[in-house]
Amino acid sequence: MKNKAYIFSWIAQLIAVVIMGQTLFFKFTGHPETIVIFEEKLNMPGGQYVIGTLELIACILLLIPNSIAYGALLGAGLMTGAIIGHFTKIGWEGSHLQLGIMAFITLASCISILLIRRKELPFINAALKEKCEQAND
Amino acid sequence: MIGKLSIDLHKLAKFTNLAIPILAVLFFLAGFRFSFYFHFLTVTFLFLTVINLFYLHVQSSHSVLRNFGILGQGRYMLESIGPELRQYLFANDTEEKPFNRTERAEVYRKAQNIDSASSFGSQFEFDSSEIKIRHSMFPIGKDKLVPYRLTFGEERGITKTYTINKPFVISAMSYGALGEKAVRSFARGAKMAGIPMNTGEGGYPKYHLDEGCDLIFQMGTAKFGVRNEDGTLNDDKLKELAGKESIKMVEIKFSQGAKPGKGGLLPKEKITDEIAELRGVPKDRDVVSPSSHAECTDIENTVAFIKHVQDVTELPVGIKLCVGRPQQFEELVVEMKRQDVFPDWITVDGAEGGTGAAPKAFIDRVGMPLFPALKSVNDILTKNGVRDRLKLMASGKLVAPGRQMVAFCLGADAIYSARGFMLSLGCIQALQCGNNTCPVGITTHDPALQHGINIDAKAPRIANYVHNLEHDLEELLASAGCRSVKELTFDHLYVPSESTLHPFINAN
Repeated sequence: MKNKAYIFSWIAQLIAVVIMGQTLFFKFTGHPETIVIFEEKLNMPGGQYVIGTLELIACILLLIPNSIAYGALLGAGLMTGAIIGHFTKIGWEGSHLQLGIMAFITLASCISILLIRRKELPFINAALKEKCEQAND
Repeated sequence: MIGKLSIDLHKLAKFTNLAIPILAVLFFLAGFRFSFYFHFLTVTFLFLTVINLFYLHVQSSHSVLRNFGILGQGRYMLESIGPELRQYLFANDTEEKPFNRTERAEVYRKAQNIDSASSFGSQFEFDSSEIKIRHSMFPIGKDKLVPYRLTFGEERGITKTYTINKPFVISAMSYGALGEKAVRSFARGAKMAGIPMNTGEGGYPKYHLDEGCDLIFQMGTAKFGVRNEDGTLNDDKLKELAGKESIKMVEIKFSQGAKPGKGGLLPKEKITDEIAELRGVPKDRDVVSPSSHAECTDIENTVAFIKHVQDVTELPVGIKLCVGRPQQFEELVVEMKRQDVFPDWITVDGAEGGTGAAPKAFIDRVGMPLFPALKSVNDILTKNGVRDRLKLMASGKLVAPGRQMVAFCLGADAIYSARGFMLSLGCIQALQCGNNTCPVGITTHDPALQHGINIDAKAPRIANYVHNLEHDLEELLASAGCRSVKELTFDHLYVPSESTLHPFINAN
């Protein structure tokens, strides 16, 4: 059971990494579509580099066994921000619909990873433990 | 009525729990109106809101989190660093347990060869419970002292006797309880100091042997390293082990101070592949030794077992026990007399002893403390006229010369210490020995933590510690007017009425 969950987690990790990773190319090369989104729609010039860097970090964390849960947390945060962007500024027309759906898929992957690996998260794990070591309820 | 400023933590928590989602909304609006960068905060507070809802309404294992939400974590955070805060900031120099700062500092100074003179009076409680050594009006010169010498096995007239020239022995700590580097440091330090080291019941002594110091092989109740499948003694393995050059003596452990009446315990966190192999045990659960030797079910066969081990090993063989009932020990002595079989030494382990992991109830509540136990054992042996048939070793918090002198006065011939040597190796009393998380790398197998130990730098500290203990012991002996520890008697002690030794004053 535990192994199955971990296999599922790894599949979700790969999905998140592939989706976030392929957008990095566009972000870091200054693709016109990226410029449109970050400069015109979101009014954050150069923001693609900030977000891109954070996504790169999330991708790396998602692939290192000790930090998967942290990568998922960061990824979930970035995707939540992306979805807020789509709802408030970017909209869903044309290629933006595709990007928005990918953000949703990535968010879903990250949340699945977080649920599977909830015991690896700080702050949450203490509350999840059935027995706590110092018996300090 | 003047309003007083006070903090109501519950109200503060409620306010926080309300503020977090409101802030999430405000940052969302700011992100919408001013800069999209505000959404970093929106997302953060959104997540905090989710976590908080989980704490307050979903999880049920922590009442504090259910009532206080995320602020309740403050309690756990502070509590988790409580031991450090107390040790560094708030506990005074004489109130920590098991060793207070004064006692630890004395060992540290000895290990680092720093003068341990202190000024302006003792930190101890003088009039209530402290046992004192009665000095003589006519102290002798240190040149009059007889060099210390103790030969194990001489009573039986065996060929392979073993002589120590310093009354200190590194007490039983297994490879398993200790990490590799700690074992090597102890062994190398023991060699430098010229004292033997007890292997502990950790099976075949691999790293101990590497360093070439004199070893006392401890055979615990599980007989790791020399056992048959059913837990009985494998004579061939023991004979092979006893034939090794470094193995000088064998100690049969009947019980230990940390958990008298229970077998040794190695938590599964600390079992590496290598340890599992050396001991021949599975990796995935705690290793619990049986509470007694398979061969020893009554007094008669216990004494016979001692004889058997003596015959197989042809080495001095001692026993280690923590005294529960002195009467029972007396029965054992009577049986020894009847069979005319005596171990070459008896190690009396005080109930205060214990580097090892043990159930709390056992650490705290089982067994006699060292001083009354040692006195009882010595009295029983003397009463039965067999005190000269064996040696007595004492262990139990004997890290400083004062308590060691008391032990000598109560009849000990030599001193066993484990924690004294751990402290001199850099132990900071973090009390994590059983968790594999020792912050100074002594009782852990984590290579990242063992990194803290540089064997070449630490081994000399063991030697320094021994050297300075010896120095203090000589000074104390001279002040008591005695030429050797053998001359020390119970009368050399001043015993206040609240001491556990006080009942013995009237008995004598």
